[in-house]
Amino acid sequence: MAVLIDKKTKIIVQGLTGTQASFHTPRAIKYGTNIVAGVVPNKKEKSHLGIPLFSSVKEAKEKTGATASLIFVPAKSAKSAILEAIRADLKLVVVITTGIPVNDMMEIRQELKNHKTLLIGPNTPGIITPQVAYMGTFPDNIHKSGNIGIISRSSTLTYEVVQTINNAGFGESTVVGLGDDFIIGTGFLEIIKDFNKDDLTKAIVIISGFGGNYEIELAQTYKNLPKKKPIIVLMVDNQVYDSDNIGLASDIICHGITTSDEKKHLLEKAGMIVVNDLSSLINKLSTL
Amino acid sequence: MNIYEYQAKKIFKNFGIAVPHGLVAYTPKEAQDVALKISPSGPWMVKAQIQAGSRDIGRFSDKRAGKKGGIRLSKTPEDVYKNSDEMLENMLITSQTSKKGRLVSRVYIEEFIKITQKYYLGFIIDRISASVMLLLTPILNRTNADIIALSQKFPENILKMNIGLQKELSSDQFSDVIKFMNLKNHSAKLKNFLNKALKVFYYYDATMLEINPFGCDVNGDIWALDAKITFDNNALYRHQDILNLTNDTGIDERELIASKYGFIYKELDHGIGLISNGNGLAFNTINEAQKQGLATACFLNLKGGVDRDKITAGIKLIMLNPKVDGIFINILGGFTRCNLIADGIISVANDLGLNIPLVARFEGTNKEEALSILQSSGLSIQTADDTITGLTLLREMVTEDL
Repeated sequence: MAVLIDKKTKIIVQGLTGTQASFHTPRAIKYGTNIVAGVVPNKKEKSHLGIPLFSSVKEAKEKTGATASLIFVPAKSAKSAILEAIRADLKLVVVITTGIPVNDMMEIRQELKNHKTLLIGPNTPGIITPQVAYMGTFPDNIHKSGNIGIISRSSTLTYEVVQTINNAGFGESTVVGLGDDFIIGTGFLEIIKDFNKDDLTKAIVIISGFGGNYEIELAQTYKNLPKKKPIIVLMVDNQVYDSDNIGLASDIICHGITTSDEKKHLLEKAGMIVVNDLSSLINKLSTL
Repeated sequence: MNIYEYQAKKIFKNFGIAVPHGLVAYTPKEAQDVALKISPSGPWMVKAQIQAGSRDIGRFSDKRAGKKGGIRLSKTPEDVYKNSDEMLENMLITSQTSKKGRLVSRVYIEEFIKITQKYYLGFIIDRISASVMLLLTPILNRTNADIIALSQKFPENILKMNIGLQKELSSDQFSDVIKFMNLKNHSAKLKNFLNKALKVFYYYDATMLEINPFGCDVNGDIWALDAKITFDNNALYRHQDILNLTNDTGIDERELIASKYGFIYKELDHGIGLISNGNGLAFNTINEAQKQGLATACFLNLKGGVDRDKITAGIKLIMLNPKVDGIFINILGGFTRCNLIADGIISVANDLGLNIPLVARFEGTNKEEALSILQSSGLSIQTADDTITGLTLLREMVTEDL
């Protein structure tokens, strides 16, 4: 087993005819991903890359039984595409798009409250269940099936972690990229709950982001969760990250916590193991 | 993106928020001239224009400015001249700038408005709840004007109100504000003021709006004595008027060029130049480099760059930085395609020549294509399979090079 996606998950791709979607979709299909339809408003063709096209998510869902959507729509039109997927009550929506305005994401999060959709991203590599299926833009050559569940706010650091743990003889059950934007759809906790229910996953690795208080939220909410599986948090020091970043000031003002030391302390108190580089991560994984 | 106080005040004025009458000046002489246009007898405020806060309690790097900060009351036109002369072409260092400070290229001269009690107003976004927060606090003395310090030391002195995505304050929320501020009079004017500021915040896709301070004059009118707006870069395409100000932001030229391509560029020190395609990877690489005794001069995050020309221009920024003595290109392609980065390296090397050590590490999408592009180029570019090996290789090359 794995979480969120497997071979059977029926997936539509919004914005399928765009350059990036046209590049990544055939790779995902070759990997084993069950992509059943593309959604392109005002479409002219009936299909693209051999995949049937529909002009709305609702229609695509009805005709194919799809439960998930992968969104490649450019930032300027992403809000309406995401809202359309949420309002069609798809179970899972993964947004690859980068550069979506913060105000648009606030509206999307508001709409999300009225639906059961799990929104992953934006600005994420997506979700991959190695050697089974993926939704996103993963480098498909580096992942290996195994029993580590990964939840990450970074894209590239995730690939680095994956390659390092695989070289050390481990593999991944599922890798979930939450996205690295100012406001994201889903935090760590929801995915931890999924991994806790998953038989294949023996341990969870969390890759923390830079700035933002999603880790603080995690520490506060995880406290009350039954501790089922060991969690190791990778928190790379961020001496470079400075007040130029729009996130920092508002995070301090809203939640009062700033340094990685403070975050680390809270996460440890909540029952997680915190490491600050990849070699310590491998050491900890080896002792579990 | 940030703008100057005087630019933000112009926006406020357009939205009906009262701001003191003021004019910009680039020389001391001009400052004195505009002061007399603003008011025949003064007094005036002389305000150093940099895109960072806490100017009032900041210090100038050149000693000619004395120990006074970047916001000064001036009683005579000669005072206006003298204060402007001390500030202009000087570096202003505040708690919100680097140690180097920011160059003051212009001053803003304003009429002086007497305020009875000063307050801080902020609208910011809470990422966790994805909603707008209103912040309000009385300013009791100069040093507690720094909202970040205040929120860490005395959070109880700040009113924090989650207003979701409401376009105006509800009457319940407003009565909480009145209670907190201990104000009974002028409440209609205050409500009007807060809602107008909120309107600016939404209209311009701001991620932060601060008025520090605002307050009432003797007639009960409310004035914004300062104005700071931070815009969401992702939403600037909706605001051509703000985009028109981007050539005038006072940030480092290389940073500005990089941001135009959608990349992130930061200068740190002397040492290696790092090009990567994500912040996480970049910071981890900087730490690993440090463990090997390699300092980082600058890093460029190409993010999910897939445009050949932009990638080439980005790599050029690093190559042209004189503080860089070796380059490490660390790419883990997912969305990013390794071959496009390799094309960029070749194109820059052909254009500028390759006279410093360069190590490239490619993994992920189109890795094999990238490696064969580098190999067939005939350039002396080393490659590595992982971060640590790449850095070790570069360290050897840089040391030999010295």
